Amino acid sequence: MAKNKTLRIGIIALILAAFILVFGYNYIYQDHRNIESEQAVFSVSAHDISIEFSQNLQASEEKYLNKTVEVYGVVSELNDNDLTLNDNAFCAFSAPITSSLEMNSEIRIKGRCIGYDDLLEQVKLDQCTIVD
Amino acid sequence: MKHILFLITLFIGLGLTAQSKYLTKKGAVTFEASVPSFEEVKASHSAVTAIANSENGEFAALVLVKGFRFKNALMEEHFNENYAESDTYPKATFKGKITDFSLEKLSANKQSFTVKGQLTFHGVTKQLDDVKVQLSLNEDVITISGSFLANASDFNIKIPKVVKNKIANDIEVTFDFRLKKK
Repeated sequence: MAKNKTLRIGIIALILAAFILVFGYNYIYQDHRNIESEQAVFSVSAHDISIEFSQNLQASEEKYLNKTVEVYGVVSELNDNDLTLNDNAFCAFSAPITSSLEMNSEIRIKGRCIGYDDLLEQVKLDQCTIVD
Repeated sequence: MKHILFLITLFIGLGLTAQSKYLTKKGAVTFEASVPSFEEVKASHSAVTAIANSENGEFAALVLVKGFRFKNALMEEHFNENYAESDTYPKATFKGKITDFSLEKLSANKQSFTVKGQLTFHGVTKQLDDVKVQLSLNEDVITISGSFLANASDFNIKIPKVVKNKIANDIEVTFDFRLKKK
C-alpha cells in the first residue's frame, strides 16, 4: 500500500517536472513577434507620421515605438530590401522585395515602428510587408 | 538683386553639400557580449543611418535601439526592457571625425584610419579616442568598417548577479557602412 503511494507521488512529480520543463522551454525559447500576422494599431500616411514625430518627438515615441503600424504613401526610393515613402518613412524588409513595384506608385506598408531618424527626418520601420 | 544673390548663394551652397555628403540608411551594426559555453548574446541591426562629409571627415551615425534583433526573442525583450531601456532611450548616436581624412587618399583597397568621437547610448555619452576603421572608395561608395570594445558599466547598464557569468561586460561592437554619394 505504502509502496503504491510513493509510486503515485513519484509519477505525479514526474509529470509536473515534465510540464515545468516544457513550459519553461517554451517561455525561454518563445517565438519572435510576427509583424506580418499582427493587426496594425495605427494607419497613417507617411507624411503625417513624420510630421507628428518632428513636432512632438516624445509623445510620438510613446504612441508608435515598437507598435505595428500601417503607413501609406508614394514610393520615393526603391531598393532590394527597403523602400522609402514620400521621403518621410523608411521601410526595411526582412526579405528581398519580390513583388514588382514602381517608383512613384502608391502603396501601403505594414511594419514595426522603431523610431525617428532626426539626421534624415524620416520615420523608420522594420520587418515590413506590402499590404496593398 | 537681393533675391538673385540669395539664389546664387543657395545654389552654391546646395552644390557644395551635394558634392561632399555620403550617406546610408541601412548600415550594419552588431554587438556581442557572449561568454564561451553559454548562450550567444548577440544582436544585429541593419537599418542604421550614417552620414560622412568627404570634405572634412566628419562622421555621424544614428542607431534606433529597437531595431536590434536577437536570435532569442526573450533575450531581445529583456535587452529592450531591462538593459538598453529603449522606451526611455530609443536612440544611440555616434558623432565624430575621421582623423587625417581626405577623399584623395581613398582607393578601392582598404586603408586604416582612426576615428575620434562621442558615443551616446542609454543616456550616457562617452568619448572614444582611437577607433580603428577601414576605409575604401569604390564608384562613389565609401565603405567604413571596424569594431571597438565598449563597457556595459560605462553606459550605466547593470548586469544582474544571476546572469553576470553569462553576459560579458566588454561588449564588442562591429560596424559596416556603405555610404553612397548624395
